[in-house]
Amino acid sequence: MNDRARNIALFAVALVLAGIYLFPLYWMYVTSLKTNSSIFAVPPEFLPGTPQWQTYALIWDEANIPRYIFNSLFIATGVTLVTAVVGSGAAYVLARYRNLWIDVALFVILMLQVLPPSLMVTPIFVAFSSVGLLDYPRIATILAISAKTMPFFVILCRAAFMTIPRELEEAALVDGNSRAGALFMVVLPLARNGILVAAILIFMQGFGEYVYSTSLIADNRLQPASIGMTNFLQPNVVTWNAIMAFAATYVTPILALFVLLQRNIVSGLTSGALK
Amino acid sequence: MTGTPQIEFSDVDKHYGSFHALKSIDLTIPKGQFVALVGPSGCGKSTLLRSIAGLEKISSGTIRIAGQTVNDIPPRKRDLAMVFQSYALYPHMNVRDNLTYALRLKGIAKDERAKAADDVAKIIGLEGLLDRKPKELSGGQRQRVAMGRAIIRQPKAFLFDEPLSNLDASLRVRMRKEIRALHDRIGSTSVYVTHDQIEAMTMADHVVVMQAGVIEQQGPPLELYERPVNRFVAGFIGSPAMNFVDATVTDDGTKVVLELQSKPTIAIAGQLEPGRKVTAGLRPEHIETGDPSAQDMAPIMIGAAEATGATTYLFSDDDPELIIVTDGANLIKQGETVGFSIAPERVHLFDPGSGRALTQSGG
Ligand SMILES: Nc1ncnc2c1ncn2[C@@H]1O[C@H](COP(=O)(O)OP(=O)(O)OP(=O)(O)O)[C@@H](O)[C@H]1O
Ligand SMILES: [Mg+2]
Repeated sequence: MNDRARNIALFAVALVLAGIYLFPLYWMYVTSLKTNSSIFAVPPEFLPGTPQWQTYALIWDEANIPRYIFNSLFIATGVTLVTAVVGSGAAYVLARYRNLWIDVALFVILMLQVLPPSLMVTPIFVAFSSVGLLDYPRIATILAISAKTMPFFVILCRAAFMTIPRELEEAALVDGNSRAGALFMVVLPLARNGILVAAILIFMQGFGEYVYSTSLIADNRLQPASIGMTNFLQPNVVTWNAIMAFAATYVTPILALFVLLQRNIVSGLTSGALK
Repeated sequence: MTGTPQIEFSDVDKHYGSFHALKSIDLTIPKGQFVALVGPSGCGKSTLLRSIAGLEKISSGTIRIAGQTVNDIPPRKRDLAMVFQSYALYPHMNVRDNLTYALRLKGIAKDERAKAADDVAKIIGLEGLLDRKPKELSGGQRQRVAMGRAIIRQPKAFLFDEPLSNLDASLRVRMRKEIRALHDRIGSTSVYVTHDQIEAMTMADHVVVMQAGVIEQQGPPLELYERPVNRFVAGFIGSPAMNFVDATVTDDGTKVVLELQSKPTIAIAGQLEPGRKVTAGLRPEHIETGDPSAQDMAPIMIGAAEATGATTYLFSDDDPELIIVTDGANLIKQGETVGFSIAPERVHLFDPGSGRALTQSGG
C-alpha cells in the first residue's frame, strides 16, 4: 500500500514536471490556432475558440515555408552525413586503440564539446571567408555545424563500438577478411543501432541549428527555417499566430520522428549496440 | 611423431611496451601433430597462439608456416582457423552464415557453401540448428559452431584458445575426445592452448609448458611427467601435484633425509655430494604405504585422510604436508603413523636455488 502511494506520488510529480516542460509546446500549437484578438485576451484563453486552420495555409506560401524547410533538411542531412561518416571512423579508432594519444584525443574532443558556437562563429567566419568557403554558405554551415556535433556523435558511437568484442573482429580476420572488411561486415552491422540513434540526434540538432546558419548564410533564399522564422517577425505588426503556425510546421515533423523512434533512441542510448 | 615442420618459431620475442610477454621462443610443430600449450594464467600462451594467427605482431625473430616466413603476412593470408575462448560467433548471422563466412570471403558460390554447411553440421551434430542465431544456442552448441567454423575449410593449422573452458565438466571431457577425434580424422596440425594440464596430457602428442613468457619444457606428455627438467614443470604436470620436500643428502650420497617431523630417509637413484641440500619431488601416486616397522619403510604421521571410494588421499601431519594417494581399500586414520616407501628411480631431485632437476629419475 505504501509502495503504491509512493508510486502514485512520483507519477504525479512526473506529470507536473512534464506539464511544465511541455507547456510552451502546447502554447505554440494553441496560439497558432487562435485569432489575433484572442491571443491578447485577458485572462489568457487556454483553448482556442474556433481553430483558425487557414493561418497555416496562409503562411505556407507567404512565408516561403517549403523553401525554408528544404534548406533546413538540406543542412541537417549534410551535417548528419558528414558527422556520421567522419565520426564513425574516428569513434572506431578511439574505441579500438588504447594509449596516451587516444586519451589526449578524447580529452580534446570533449573540450570541443564545451566551446559554445557563439564563441567559435567569428574565427570560423574569418577562416571560411579566407578560403572562399563563404561562397557556398550552406556547405560552410554544414561544415561548421558538423564540427560542433562531432564530439557528441563520436562519444556516443565510441560507446557503441566498445560494446562489440574485439574477438569478433579477430575471428573475421582469421576467417580471411581484411581490416576494412571486418569493419564493414561485422562491426558496423553490430553497431548499427547505436550509430543510427546518434545520427538521428545529430539530424535533429542540424535541423534546429541557428547560430552558425544566421552568421554564415546571408542570402535569404539559402537560409533554413530556424532563421526564416525570425525573418518573419516584422518590425511593426507582430502576428503571433502566423509565427506560431510557422514554428509548428517546422517542428511537428521532427517531433513526430522523435516520438516514433523514441523507444529505439532510449534503448540505443542506454545500451550502446543491441545484439 | 616427426614430419615436415608446419609451424616454426625461431627466437621469437614479443614486447607489450616494457612488458616482455614472449622470451626467445623456439618451437617446431610438425605437420599433423596435436600440440598443447599449457601454463599458468598470464604466461603468454594466448600471445603465442595469436602471433601464429597474425593477430599479434612479434617484436623480433621469425615465424614460418609451411615453410613460408609470415612475420609480415596479415591474418587473412595465413590460412589458419582459430577457435576462440568466447567462441566469437557473429551475433548477427545465423549458424549457417557463421559456418560459411570464410567460404563466402573466398568467393565460393552460395549453393556450394550451403552444402558445405550441411556436411559440417552433420559432422559436429548441429543439424536442424543451421537457421538459428548464436544467441538461441546453448553454450555447448555454440562451442560446436565455433569448431564447425574452423573445420569447414582445410586450413594449414587449427588454433584453439581454451575452447572448452566455458563448458561444464562432463561436456568438457566429451568435447576433449571429440576434438582429438576430429583432429585425427582431418589429419591437420593443431595448436591447443589450455591452462588445464589434464586436457593437455590427454589430448596432445606434444606438450609445451610455459611460464612467464618462457618455454620451460616440451615433449611428449609422458616424458614431461616422468622427466621434468625443473621444479616448475614437475609441479605443473600431474594431479594431485607433486610433493616438494626439503631434504639433505646422507653421508654415503645414495639417500636423502626428508625434512619432515619423522625425518624419514629414502634411497635415490644416483649419487650426490654428501650433505648437499636438495628439494625432493615425490608424486603422491608413486608413494607406497605399509607397515612402519617393515624394513625399507620410513615412518610418517598422518594428519588427515580423505576417502573418496576409489582412492584415499592421505595428508601427513607436516607443514607443508605430504600428500599420498593410496588404494580406496586402505583404511588409514588420522593420527596414525604409517610406513611409506618410494622407488628410488621415482624420486625427483631439484636444486633448491635454481629449481633445476639434479638427476633424471626413471631412466
Ligand atoms: N595488449 C596487451 N598489452 C599489454 N600486455 C598484454 C597485452 N596482452 C597480453 N598482455 C600481457 O601479456 C601476458 C601474457 O598474456 P596472455 O594473454 O598470452 O596470457 P595467457 O597465458 O593466455 O593467460 P590466460 O591463461 O589467463 O589466458 C600477460 O601478463 C598479459 O598481461
Ligand atoms: Mg589466454
